[in-house]
Amino acid sequence: MKPLLSVRDLRVWLDTARGPLSIVDGINFDIASGQVFGLAGESGSGKTITALALLGLLPAGARAAGSAMLDGRDLLTMRAAQRRRTRGREIAMVFQDPTSSLHPMLTIERQLTEHLRYQLGMSREEAYERAVHLLTDVRIPNPRAALRGYPHQFSGGMRQRIQIAIGLACEPRLLVADEPTTALDVTVQAGILRLLHRLCEEKDLAVMLITHDLGVLSALADTVTVMYAGRVVESGSTAQVMGGSRHPYTRALIDSLPHPEASDGALVPIAGDPAGPESRPSGCAFHPRCRYMEPSCAAAVPSLVRMDDGREMACPLDPLVVSRVR
Amino acid sequence: MSVAAISNPLASSWRRIPGAWRQPVTIAGLVIAAFWLVIALAAPLIAPADPLAQGAALYQAPSAAHLMGTDELGRDVFSRVLWGARISIPLAMLLVALAFTIGGTLGGLAGYLGGWVDELVMRAADFVFAVPTILLAMAVVAALGPGLFHAVLAVVLVSWPGHARVVRGLVRTTMQSEYVAVGRLLGSPTHRALVVDVLPNVAGPVIVLAALEIGNAILLLSALSFLGLGARPPTAEWGSMVSTGAQHFEAWWIGVFPGIAIVSVVLAFNLLGDSLRDAFDPKAIIKARGA
Amino acid sequence: MAFVLTHLVPGDPAVANLGDRASSDPVAVKLYREHFGLDKPLPVQYVVYLGNLLHGDLGESEQSRRPVLTDLAEYIPATAELAITSIVLACLLGLTLGVIAALNRNNVIDQIIRVVSLGGMSTPQFWLALVALYLFFYKLSWVPGSGRLDAAVLPPPHLTGLFTIDSLAAGQYDVFVNAVQHLILPACVLAAFNMGLFTRFTRSAVLEVLENDYVRTARAKGLPERTVVFRHILRAASPPILTVVGLAFGNVMTGTVLIENIFSWPGIGQYSYRSATALDLPAIVGVMLFVAIVYILVNMVVDILYGVVDPRIRVA
Repeated sequence: MKPLLSVRDLRVWLDTARGPLSIVDGINFDIASGQVFGLAGESGSGKTITALALLGLLPAGARAAGSAMLDGRDLLTMRAAQRRRTRGREIAMVFQDPTSSLHPMLTIERQLTEHLRYQLGMSREEAYERAVHLLTDVRIPNPRAALRGYPHQFSGGMRQRIQIAIGLACEPRLLVADEPTTALDVTVQAGILRLLHRLCEEKDLAVMLITHDLGVLSALADTVTVMYAGRVVESGSTAQVMGGSRHPYTRALIDSLPHPEASDGALVPIAGDPAGPESRPSGCAFHPRCRYMEPSCAAAVPSLVRMDDGREMACPLDPLVVSRVR
Repeated sequence: MSVAAISNPLASSWRRIPGAWRQPVTIAGLVIAAFWLVIALAAPLIAPADPLAQGAALYQAPSAAHLMGTDELGRDVFSRVLWGARISIPLAMLLVALAFTIGGTLGGLAGYLGGWVDELVMRAADFVFAVPTILLAMAVVAALGPGLFHAVLAVVLVSWPGHARVVRGLVRTTMQSEYVAVGRLLGSPTHRALVVDVLPNVAGPVIVLAALEIGNAILLLSALSFLGLGARPPTAEWGSMVSTGAQHFEAWWIGVFPGIAIVSVVLAFNLLGDSLRDAFDPKAIIKARGA
Repeated sequence: MAFVLTHLVPGDPAVANLGDRASSDPVAVKLYREHFGLDKPLPVQYVVYLGNLLHGDLGESEQSRRPVLTDLAEYIPATAELAITSIVLACLLGLTLGVIAALNRNNVIDQIIRVVSLGGMSTPQFWLALVALYLFFYKLSWVPGSGRLDAAVLPPPHLTGLFTIDSLAAGQYDVFVNAVQHLILPACVLAAFNMGLFTRFTRSAVLEVLENDYVRTARAKGLPERTVVFRHILRAASPPILTVVGLAFGNVMTGTVLIENIFSWPGIGQYSYRSATALDLPAIVGVMLFVAIVYILVNMVVDILYGVVDPRIRVA
């Protein structure tokens, strides 16, 4: 089946005084309709920037290259006006912190309806009714009263639901959710995840779920792509990657964070700090922190190799070696 | 040991000054201010004529002989403008120094001691703020009698609350900040705390205020002279020259050039103060740290 | 407080007001002082003054021999018209420049705007007024030089005292045009300083707002940049800008003293200038009271507006 979004060789770099600084170094992935695509990695891995590049919201000084085909059109080479029309309408984004992402001085009604009216040309009444409908969908109690309110009057979880409602307003094909539950209480997280799952099924919505929280991924994602230092190191179905990964980084990540599939009780943090764009090691970016490192790892960037079970991995080491040393 | 060893954000901003200097606007401000300071010092040497000499023909338009023309008594306007710098700039600096000493001390005491001292100082400051500046200055000079000295006093009277308020705020913030509390815990005696910890924090914004106040002082002084309450003729002061210019509209050069001088000096000091303020901005410091 | 201060000012008001010749006659001085109650002890004078104040009696102006209150009432509308016009001008220009500067941070446009705004704050108003008069009145004759209306033009029927509004309300368009012609130059000159102030504050407020995530959210919805700037950015930046409005009134009060004189604009500024030079105590005190009331009113309005703009500040 033809994928909804097809990204090839996406590169993002920053124009600095000292030359271009690579943030995303040529990644590929596909997202199909109705699929929850998980993008995992630590902070600094470039996952948020990838999403921003897709939406055309890169910060000043950052440039993107490569291709991102949505329904046959390349997002990255579109003209600005066209690009702007896809935002909200075809791809929507929900950001990490619902408190700072909602405008403190505008009513919920305004924030929900303004793009409905601008993008879809709805009248005030039509947009209002749709807004009520949306709030009901995300399970906000008393929607009509809520519309008159302001963000500061709602709890964190409610604000996130409102943000999701805003994202879904124009019925986009793809919803990008950047750490949707990270800023929320654990008790509230489950509710948001259930909501996303339901919406995904009901509306045949594709979701790009960006997070470092593996628990969220195993709960919600159909496929997982792991990024490190701007490159994809592993990708496959959730079961494959989370359950039986043979990539050193993925394994280390799984072992260092609490999540349902942890093999035993003790958490083993990964030594060292994640490599930021300025200090990217040569060859395999993870090699200074990798417990299986060999001299050859520093020589060349490992390419993504497709395994028999459909999974892709970027590590030149013999997988049997990796699993045995553990 | 000074508590400043534990992070003292404003003290480290001294090292950030170089960044702000690189902006072209700042450099322009610095250059112009320096230029005028030189003129103030060197006017007797570079002015083509004696500012009080009435030899030349009256009402001459600007020409090669008289770059800015001559005024209603045949004096060379260019020389008078140059000599005007010797009045406005040093007086303004003196004025700001005075206002800062008085206002800073009062404000510092108010902030440090609190209580009725604070109340008293702030009420007095509020009163001055409430009255339109010009009026107060005018009233003071009108009562004391015209003359530059009285005008300076009037402006000091009007300006000290500004300094007082800033210093008081800074002192209070610093005193409430955690690292001073830590210092007290560690046993630094109070007066040492004052000098070592409070002063570096206070110095930065105060210097910014001083630079900006010099500009305001020049404006106010020249306004008073314009009204005839400051410098008396035949002194070559920019404000009174503008006033003369107003009476002889045809000879526009009499009034226009002194005004241009005022604008350029005040602008230069304002640019300086503005750039310094950017350099001392705590938010900019935090950004530079966190990046 | 105002009262006490004016009495602290050395210099006998009797002398100042009677002129040199009369004040050399002790009898005249004594009569003068008796008439104005200046011979009674100071605290008594203060109490009498407060009592009068509560009855709306601000005393009589020594210059005009009329109740100060009448004087004030006559001159306030003129100043109000000038002040409001100049603040509106300064605000509009300042907002525009400030937003442009913020969106173009640190490049050439920003630097130019910075110099222009600081320039507005560095220019002596009296000089600017004279230069403007010279250019636009004397040389180009684009605008008239003084007063609120040409001598031959009758003021419109009194509604608010603001000639521009009154003439529009009465349908007298020629009067309106004339009033605007007289108003525009002093208003612009007065606006120079505040324009600089508005520009700088708007710029810093907008820069702060731009760092916030909700601006990104607005763009992520695909809204046009115009909407993002006006509805999202400016709205969030308004509280600090409202503060400037308060400051601007203060500056205007100070500025009118000189500007009204230069433009022969019959307002409070001119009145206070005359009173200050003549040491006309009741008038001075009256003006100070008026200014204080204006400050209080303006601050109240600004506080209310804070609540209107920012729902988080509203009391339940």
